[in-house]
Amino acid sequence: MSNSTPPPEEQFNESQTADEMNVAKVHGSILREQADPVDGYEPVPLWLITVFFCIIFWAGFYLALNSGGFQSNVYNPKLVSWSGGGAAKDTGPPDPMVVGKRVYTQNCLICHQTTGLGVAGQFPPLVGSEWVLGNDWHGDNHLVKILLHGLQGAIQVKGNTYNNAMPRWKQLKDEQISAVLTYIRAEWGNAAPPITAEFIKQLRTETDARSEPWTQNELKAIPAVKIPPGGALPAAAAPAAAPAA
Amino acid sequence: MNKLPLIFLGVFITFASSWIGLVAYPFLTLGKMEPLPDEDTGGYFPPAMSGLAVAGQRVYAANGCVYCHSQQVRLAPLSTDIKKGLGPRQTVARDYLRAQPAFLGTMRTGPDLSNIGARQPDVNWHHQHLYEPQTITSWSVMPPFRHLYKMQPIEGQASDNAVKGLKGSYAPPSGYEVVPTDDAKALVAYLISLKRNFPLPESPEPALE
Amino acid sequence: MKSQSLISSFNPANDPNTLDSYERAEIDASTRVPVLLFFGSAIFWLLIGSLLGLVAAWKMTHPALLDGMAWTTFGRIRPAHLNTVIYGWASAAGIGVGIWLMARLCRVALVHSKLLIAAAIFWNLGVLVGVLGILAGDSRSIEWLEIPGYATPILFVAYAFIGIWTIIMFRFRKPGHVYVSQWYLFAAFLWFPWLYATANILLVWSPIQGSAQGAVNWWFAHNILGLWFTPLGLASAYYMIPKVIGRPIHSYYLSILGFWSLALFYSWNGMHHLIGGPFPAWMVSASVVASIMMFIPVITVAINHHMTMRGNFGALKWSPTLRFTVFGAMTYTIVSFQGSSMAIPSWNTFIHFTDHTIGHAHLGLYGFFTMIMFGAIYYIVPRLVGWEWPSATMIRWHFWLSAIGIGIMVGALTLGGILQGFAFYDPAATFRTSLEYATPFRIIRGLSGFLLLGAHVVFAILFTQMLLRIGRPQEGPALFATPTEPEKEVAAV
Repeated sequence: MSNSTPPPEEQFNESQTADEMNVAKVHGSILREQADPVDGYEPVPLWLITVFFCIIFWAGFYLALNSGGFQSNVYNPKLVSWSGGGAAKDTGPPDPMVVGKRVYTQNCLICHQTTGLGVAGQFPPLVGSEWVLGNDWHGDNHLVKILLHGLQGAIQVKGNTYNNAMPRWKQLKDEQISAVLTYIRAEWGNAAPPITAEFIKQLRTETDARSEPWTQNELKAIPAVKIPPGGALPAAAAPAAAPAA
Repeated sequence: MNKLPLIFLGVFITFASSWIGLVAYPFLTLGKMEPLPDEDTGGYFPPAMSGLAVAGQRVYAANGCVYCHSQQVRLAPLSTDIKKGLGPRQTVARDYLRAQPAFLGTMRTGPDLSNIGARQPDVNWHHQHLYEPQTITSWSVMPPFRHLYKMQPIEGQASDNAVKGLKGSYAPPSGYEVVPTDDAKALVAYLISLKRNFPLPESPEPALE
Repeated sequence: MKSQSLISSFNPANDPNTLDSYERAEIDASTRVPVLLFFGSAIFWLLIGSLLGLVAAWKMTHPALLDGMAWTTFGRIRPAHLNTVIYGWASAAGIGVGIWLMARLCRVALVHSKLLIAAAIFWNLGVLVGVLGILAGDSRSIEWLEIPGYATPILFVAYAFIGIWTIIMFRFRKPGHVYVSQWYLFAAFLWFPWLYATANILLVWSPIQGSAQGAVNWWFAHNILGLWFTPLGLASAYYMIPKVIGRPIHSYYLSILGFWSLALFYSWNGMHHLIGGPFPAWMVSASVVASIMMFIPVITVAINHHMTMRGNFGALKWSPTLRFTVFGAMTYTIVSFQGSSMAIPSWNTFIHFTDHTIGHAHLGLYGFFTMIMFGAIYYIVPRLVGWEWPSATMIRWHFWLSAIGIGIMVGALTLGGILQGFAFYDPAATFRTSLEYATPFRIIRGLSGFLLLGAHVVFAILFTQMLLRIGRPQEGPALFATPTEPEKEVAAV
């Protein structure tokens, strides 16, 4: 239509030199770069192949020995076959030391530690503790009551003051509380007689209504009941002591 | 290796092998597990979770508890988890049957929680701890979850569910009380439900030394 | 021809085929918008991610920092950090580099670049919605899959565009040799959707029973490292190293061995995160074996890269691309060796659940992958915007802040983790002991975070200058040093 504009080809020709200069500037990085990478064809070294075969060989052995028999319910790699099914109920009454340790591991260990030494300033020790062994004003009934309802506020153990809260363990069965108390009274060099499940049952019934944790002063007000070193507490002794409390 | 179909096939097959082994296989075996009936009580292992505890998982997830707390007791004697009292036995797939999702975790910046419900069954303790962990354990690096609680003036009588025994810098001033929100209640219900201390035949308790 | 002499005069040592140069210029121009979109957004997320990481790091020693608000709690900041750096930065940078490499290696100009622009927009939208969702409390706390179910479809749509585009590019490629980088890219772009879809369907959208979730979770989380980031990183290294020094890759046979052994063994690695855990022994043992077998691809690739570099290590003195890439490639060897050793059951039970693992993850994703991405971006961007990096000094700062920062971070976490492991292993040690051991190292790690954030700020400034074509105009490439006479031969950055 308009003759004043030159045809496109001419326009291109006119600005060609400038374009090239511009291309060189703008695409300098592209112009100077190397050709795209290609492959060399060096052989794979023999030692490398040897090493790899050794690894594969080892892997086969390892998997065979640690497969747990490729069963979906075997979690221990060393177990080749699994014979589960709830059989093998143990014979005879359970050993309170074994059950007690299990209860301790599940419930008490996180605070009182594997060593029974507690954590300084945080959780009191059980080793040589007058509370556990029933020395001084402490009785075995106090210990059971703490297990049943917990303990709160400042307490003195072996001359140190602790101020923390012990949760209640009412939800445990009488046998479990008996086992764990028997365990802590005989482990780590502690030597106090076992505490029977009947004793716990008695105290549980007596204090059933209580929902608050004990404090040291409250417990101190309750006369101590101690299980004689011989073993079982005379059945009549506890109820006689309890009404007085 | 200039043939595209060849590369495609190889890439497909190598990956499919692991997909079958590590995804399809557990999906078909472990994913279809049933809880075990408990002969003594007529219940099931693992026990059913309360509705509140199920809801608590959502709060646990939303606040990222899993980034510091694992929920697995590992095989003994390979690890010392059982000796350290994390639980009575190794946790196995069936333990997570009802977990949604399963918070196995990869870090122990805080203690393992597989059995926290057995270790610490006290609801008020958990509320105190979540509200300001440092008042219970001074050296704790757990962040306070105060956003799960509401501080409000006491009107008439104190609320039943008010958190008791709060001390520390965020304790309510006199005339005020701190009550858990629904999220906090659900979270604590979930924490207390975490107990893996029931027996499972595929995970025998290791012999005590 | 005039243009010939012009090019020759620009760099007389190098006399490239002009047709090749024009072809390259055309290809690069076609990738400009989508690649810069991915790079730009990636760098934005890198800054956000570093900031979130820094806050999370300091919260580990100072729990009262920014407390009392739901969205700033550690359990939300940490997954937000992870997801911004994984999906926002690393994946987007990897996709950007992948697109450019794909176009270059297929030797065709980009087709359907609108598909990729849409992908970039959707990808960033997905990350944004996902990260905000995590901060708002919608995370499901499944590691590496925290992005809520309503955001993942957005990411998936973005990804679908990229996948379709990859297939089209392969269809249109010029016949001839398929270079090793392309194998890795092709495999990564195929593996990712499979991985991501499987994991999201089974864990987020319609969760399977809890008893099977851990296996799927760690199959995914390890494979996203091994079969997404690793192949993207290696593809870039396999291209950049021979490209900058102008030598062929050492051995085609080693390339083949490395690629297929990676494909076979890496995919089986995931269960080593659950040693002694609640999964059948054979699954865990299979992963232990596969992890040890990872020595095969790693040694192979290390030899291949090292032998290619041999005689040209001097080029590290002046080429930013090469220095970042070789740093990454060497770290790949180190981190993989460490990873294999961490799968040995007795060592694993010792250091698992400690900061050691966190150190390992950062060494892999930062020391290896991120550094290689930095190197690639330094190479690619000048070709896209027609502007040279304005300051070699700033690139130097970026390199050293990154390298020293990640070195301190990984060193502190690794050592602290081992001490923590002692406390976890010893039945007599209390929990408090493990914290006391870890705390000083966590503080050092927190300090190293400032170095990394500094590095990223420098990098972001440089990138912005490039985008806007501002800053001091450079005559030639930004180099750390002037190459000596014989090295000029290969001054091809």
